[in-house]
Amino acid sequence: MQSSGADRIRRLLTAGAGALLAALMALVLIVGFRLATRIRANVALLQRASLLEAYPSEVSQQLTALRERLGTLEYTGGVHQELADSVAKFDRNLAALERRPGVDPAVLRAAGRLWRAYTPVLAPVLSYSGEPYSDTDFGSSLSVSGKIFYTQVRRAELFAQSSAPALHRRLAALSTALQKRTSRAASRLRLLLSAGVLAVLLLGAAAAYLQLARSRGERAARAAEEQTRDILHTVREGLFLLDADYRIGAVWSQALSHLFGREDFAGLPFEELLRDKVSPATLATATKYIKLLWGERAHENLMKSINPLGQLEVMLDNGRGGKETHYLQFNFHRVLGPKGVKHVLCTVADITSNVMLARELNEAQESAHSQIDMMVSMLHSDPLQVGGFLDTASAGLKHVNAILKEPARSHAEFSRKLTGLSRELHSIKGEASALNLMSIAQRVHHLEDMVEELKGKSELTGNDFLPLVLKLDELLAHLRAVREMILRLGTLKDGTSPSDGTLSTPILRLTGAERPNGADELATTLQGLARKLAEDHGKPFTLSLEGLEAVPTAYLPTVKDCLIQMLRNAAVHGIEPDAVRRAGSKTATGQVRAQFRRLESGCELVFEDDGAGLSPEALKEAAVRKQLLTEEQAAELDNRSALALIFKPGFSTRAEVSMDAGRGAGMDVVAKAVYALGGRIGVSTHPGRFTRFKIALPAPSQTAVA
Amino acid sequence: MLREEELKTFVDGTTRYFEVAAQQPATIGSPYLLEGEAAMHDYTGMINVSGKREGVVYFTAPRAMLTVLLMKMQESDFSHESMRDLVGEVANTISGNARRDFGHDFVISVPSVFSGEKPQIPQPPGARAFVIPIHWRSHSAKLVVSLT
Repeated sequence: MQSSGADRIRRLLTAGAGALLAALMALVLIVGFRLATRIRANVALLQRASLLEAYPSEVSQQLTALRERLGTLEYTGGVHQELADSVAKFDRNLAALERRPGVDPAVLRAAGRLWRAYTPVLAPVLSYSGEPYSDTDFGSSLSVSGKIFYTQVRRAELFAQSSAPALHRRLAALSTALQKRTSRAASRLRLLLSAGVLAVLLLGAAAAYLQLARSRGERAARAAEEQTRDILHTVREGLFLLDADYRIGAVWSQALSHLFGREDFAGLPFEELLRDKVSPATLATATKYIKLLWGERAHENLMKSINPLGQLEVMLDNGRGGKETHYLQFNFHRVLGPKGVKHVLCTVADITSNVMLARELNEAQESAHSQIDMMVSMLHSDPLQVGGFLDTASAGLKHVNAILKEPARSHAEFSRKLTGLSRELHSIKGEASALNLMSIAQRVHHLEDMVEELKGKSELTGNDFLPLVLKLDELLAHLRAVREMILRLGTLKDGTSPSDGTLSTPILRLTGAERPNGADELATTLQGLARKLAEDHGKPFTLSLEGLEAVPTAYLPTVKDCLIQMLRNAAVHGIEPDAVRRAGSKTATGQVRAQFRRLESGCELVFEDDGAGLSPEALKEAAVRKQLLTEEQAAELDNRSALALIFKPGFSTRAEVSMDAGRGAGMDVVAKAVYALGGRIGVSTHPGRFTRFKIALPAPSQTAVA
Repeated sequence: MLREEELKTFVDGTTRYFEVAAQQPATIGSPYLLEGEAAMHDYTGMINVSGKREGVVYFTAPRAMLTVLLMKMQESDFSHESMRDLVGEVANTISGNARRDFGHDFVISVPSVFSGEKPQIPQPPGARAFVIPIHWRSHSAKLVVSLT
């Protein structure tokens, strides 16, 4: 900017000096020409004046010569003619001096008067044309006219001799005046020429200085240009300017070429730069953003905060014929000129390593938090229960892997896997939540999200399952870490080494009568889950459990699964918020009850809550919304069939998915678990009053009981 | 933990081989985690990986599949050696794909080939093996990726 201003000033100075020099030279030439012309005219006049100055004595001499020739009777024709010529020249030259600049008119007039006084005496002499001599036998003598002529010549001679000095003085004064004038003009001319030469020298010096300065400026500009080139070659960010048409300018940094693997940036629309690198939606947003930058009122900091290209994931050539993911950060700075935004300076930095580092840090932090959370959960959990859960979860995930392992080639075969995966994962998540093992529950929840996403795809292939199997691996690794943590905690508690890989927590080493029975564990788990659910959903309720000690060992896992899922359902869907309960004249605290009984025909599990109950109409609406039924099919459903919808995989009355509900998998898990044991499940409800599930299980076989 | 793009690189390398060599792309089946010992087919091409990741990647295919593949490639030699060369070539393609995508992060050995005998597959500690079934025409092979 400064360099550009100095250049402009230098150019202006150079142009000004050049113009001044030309004007001065023109002035010197014009004035000099005029002075020279005047001097030449003066010199001509001076020559004439000098000639005139000689005439009085010349005329006088010619008259004397004429008289003497007459006296000696010599030929007078030549002298007479010379006299006539001199007089004629005198007249002509005198007339030539009249009204000429530089000739003093008074002096000229005085000289003229004196010359005109010659006329009476000279006229008879000049006009004489007779024969001055007469020849006789005795010789020659003056003729009569010759004698008269002689007298006239003599008189003229005397007049000329007497008048010549005065006339000469006048003519000399005239010459002197002209000479002075010529000298003055010559002096002026000399002065002018000297001034001109001086001015030329000064201007020449100024021009030389300016030229020097210009050369210096050019050198500085070249050095600056070289520095700019060095910067553009060395800087690690892509740099370029965008013009008002959102096109890239003529200059860009070399890093830009490396980043985008091309060289043809000049005039390239910004949109084209990103077209194959980002999604159409991101491209549209970026284009709008660039347009906003040209707005006069756009606030730079605000614009920076909404930059959609702050961290852009792109696929770039890796130089080995492949592509790799990079993260680019685009920053935009407006370049302002007197008329507003001139350009937008764009910098592009490859922040891949930063992003990866941040991601790793984040993962490490999450892992650390997760481990701390897990440890806290462990400290608050019964290690035996957690150990049991880990065994169940590992078995569940083994089953998940077995589902994945089933051969599949078609969409239908892949799709069939998803329902089984959902059911299995939901069951594991429910139990993890019940034990407050949130790090596990969240991971399973994420896996469930992935399964749900696949359910929405119209064409499934094995590629779609790759992320799933990776997540499964991560989950298994996490379960291993939890198991190791339990071992370490056990070590802390009893000071023994876990090197043998066995669970060393005292409670885990209890056997037989010392160990708490399954019913107690189940009761503890369910009460813990109830407290957590009440707290999480802000719905206080109490859980009363009856007859759990009568649950056959073989049925314990199923009963546990069922109760966990039904308890979560009751907390999310059944028990109403405090205000609704009060409005319905209910107690502020909800009541949930589970009762297990052994009957002659088998076993019965009743689960009941005093919540909102089920509305067949609401269930039908939800089924239509979830596209499980058409409106016509829903309209034809009776109340009993509508209530049965809750056992359909994927059915849920909730629009959004949470950790505890919304996937439509919970009651499916319950139903499938019950059916697997050859049982039945029924539901009865009264809207606004209660929901009751009644599960009938066959009597366990002797081997199963054992 | 192995990343999805890393796993995809190996999978793409395998399916690409079929697409280029036999002009008929292979598809992948449902991937799963290997439990116990790997079920090996008749011929196996394996590469060892070190550097950023440690472990092995191998492609194992039944003789029938390789025979049809050779036929599609206009080959007339269906000998034992041809089969070995073929799985070695697949392993080589997988290796090339990995080099292209991962560069110097991965140090990949030249492929080794097994047939008939039960190969000793080194299992890096802490690494679980991903099995990706590779379907081509009516045949199935397996790609196993076991990296830490």
